[in-house]
Amino acid sequence: MRCLLIEDENKVADFVARGLRAERFAVDVARDGESGWDMASANDYDLVILDLMLPKLSGTEVLSRIRRKNTSVPILILTARDATAEKVRHFEAGADDYLTKPFAFAELLVRIKSLLRRGPVARENVLRVDGLELDRLTQQVKRDGRRIELTSKEYSLLEYLMSHPARVFSRTMIIEHVWDQSFEGLTNIVDVYIRHLRAKVDDPFPQKLIRTVRGVGYCITEEPGT
Amino acid sequence: MNTRSIGFRVVSWYAGWLCAVFVIFGAFIYWQLAHYLETSLGASLSRRANQIAELLTSAGGNVDAKTLATEINERYAPERSGRFIRVASGGALLYVSGKPLDASFDPAGVRLPPVPTPHEMLRNEMEPDWKPLLVETLVCQAGDRSFVIEVGASRAPIQTVLQQMMLPLALGLPAILVIAILGGYALVRRALTPVGVITRTAERISSHNLGERLPVPPTDDELQRLSEALNRMITRLNESFDYTRRFLADASHELRTPLTVIRGELENAVGAPGLPAATRDSIGSVLEEVDRLARIVEGLFALSRLDAGEAQTERVRFDLGELAMTTTEQMCLLAEDKGVSLSRAISRGVTVEGDRARLKQVVVNLLDNAIKYTPAGGTVTVAVCVTDGRAWMGVTDNGMGIPADALPHLFERFYRVDKARSREMGGAGLGLSIVKAICDAHDGKVRVESEPDRGSCFSVELPLAAARAETAEETTKASEGN
Repeated sequence: MRCLLIEDENKVADFVARGLRAERFAVDVARDGESGWDMASANDYDLVILDLMLPKLSGTEVLSRIRRKNTSVPILILTARDATAEKVRHFEAGADDYLTKPFAFAELLVRIKSLLRRGPVARENVLRVDGLELDRLTQQVKRDGRRIELTSKEYSLLEYLMSHPARVFSRTMIIEHVWDQSFEGLTNIVDVYIRHLRAKVDDPFPQKLIRTVRGVGYCITEEPGT
Repeated sequence: MNTRSIGFRVVSWYAGWLCAVFVIFGAFIYWQLAHYLETSLGASLSRRANQIAELLTSAGGNVDAKTLATEINERYAPERSGRFIRVASGGALLYVSGKPLDASFDPAGVRLPPVPTPHEMLRNEMEPDWKPLLVETLVCQAGDRSFVIEVGASRAPIQTVLQQMMLPLALGLPAILVIAILGGYALVRRALTPVGVITRTAERISSHNLGERLPVPPTDDELQRLSEALNRMITRLNESFDYTRRFLADASHELRTPLTVIRGELENAVGAPGLPAATRDSIGSVLEEVDRLARIVEGLFALSRLDAGEAQTERVRFDLGELAMTTTEQMCLLAEDKGVSLSRAISRGVTVEGDRARLKQVVVNLLDNAIKYTPAGGTVTVAVCVTDGRAWMGVTDNGMGIPADALPHLFERFYRVDKARSREMGGAGLGLSIVKAICDAHDGKVRVESEPDRGSCFSVELPLAAARAETAEETTKASEGN
């Protein structure tokens, strides 16, 4: 997978590129709008990550130029502005997704993967982590063959965690996915639900699956914690 | 009527002064006229007395009563002209005129002049059933005899003239008063109407519509200058508000990029294998703070957008009761977890219009606050209803309450009632100011009542969308019909 990152903030570009390379992406980085456009028109990319505030050529302009030439490449916008009107304008101009800074890298990755139609898009009906089994059709959860009764919110939370085993989800991602953005300021609701989920999924069993990554969020994994 | 209004004061001063001037002027005229009439009557009496004196002197003082009477009656006919004439010499009466035709006095009753009689004097004679009489006395020497000549006339005509004069003055005063008040009122009202318009418009202008301007009356007077000056002041306010908003937006923007870098790098670091647990923990702690900082920046940005009047980008009609119901359901685990019971008194069908996501945030923030500050065993009640034609939502708790001196500051940015405690709970101090900003943007109001140790009640009032409900229903019906 070849990916073009157009971002003028060196440090942001660095850690995003590093993170993506760790996920085995080939990443080209452009530091301004003009070279970004040059690279995008010269090469074929599977994905373009575009910052909006760029020197020389604005991100908006780069977006419309790329769209005029190539209609299919997925474009993810990174921005430090998040006015709704602006968001709508860029979606209309052909952006596929929109991420507001500061973002969690895990979230960027989830969005990129869903844009590239890799990973969760090939939806499995049964998700498994160790002895834990979640059936998306019957909405039943079992562990070691024993049925676990969950409320609908607990179910959505567990399903979200199990959709990418071993991936850390930030509280903000969980809130946006399981609740909605009105709850954004209120991350303790996630903690409360995780505690309830643990009581049902982990407490009766010796092997704990739901792990807290301090400062980052939660993940579900069968690997023992460090 | 407001007795302190400029209109009232101007009119009463104006009417008062006008009346005073009229009274002074009227009194002056009256006095002048009375004086003039009196002097001219006195002068005519004196002339007559002198003529009689001349008559006596030309005869050398040798006149008998009879000749004198004929002479006077022929010349002056005192009875007919209502005059009083009496001539005496050495204590003996030579002539007394008869009763006048109008019987305004009795010549026989007129007292004798004082002795010794001065050469010339003017006196008033009054008897109960008479009209007052003005008498001129002249002493003259004719030959070797001394005569006292008295000529009098009734003052009644003078009084009649003065009374005639008083009538319009007395009637004119109230008339002038009424005209002054009515005219003054009309004049003042006309002059002050633009002030009312300016006041009403100025009342309407708040930080959300600083683009509006006061009407400028094209009169080239003080009011035009006043509204122009006020408009210039609003422009300056607008500029400074704009500057603050831009600053806040820019600052949030500038803060986001380094936050992204910090978070990204730390997330990378915390995921590195073989990291000592203590290091992982401290990186985690830093990440938690980064998260909080990011939330504050988000909150500030949200506020700056609300300040810029961006809240109304999405306007939908929805049921506030239903919104409160689902939000309460979503948050009931949060309450349960704290041992707080959550009760509801929500009526459905309370339709409001606005940005649903933002109004949901109002419910979330208020409910979150109430749950946070209510100890285990307490109760939080969410109520939605219609009162006085407005949608009303209340979040009441029986928690620790808020001290009275903190109440006015509660909706200020970064204000905390109990600094240590609220920080420990992870609040940024922006939740309630966001609630207020959202309510303001929806023409709503948020209020708080609280009693320490007994609990608080936060209430939100929003305009109902009822007026447009029928039209909306009609359009859906119409579209269904098609």
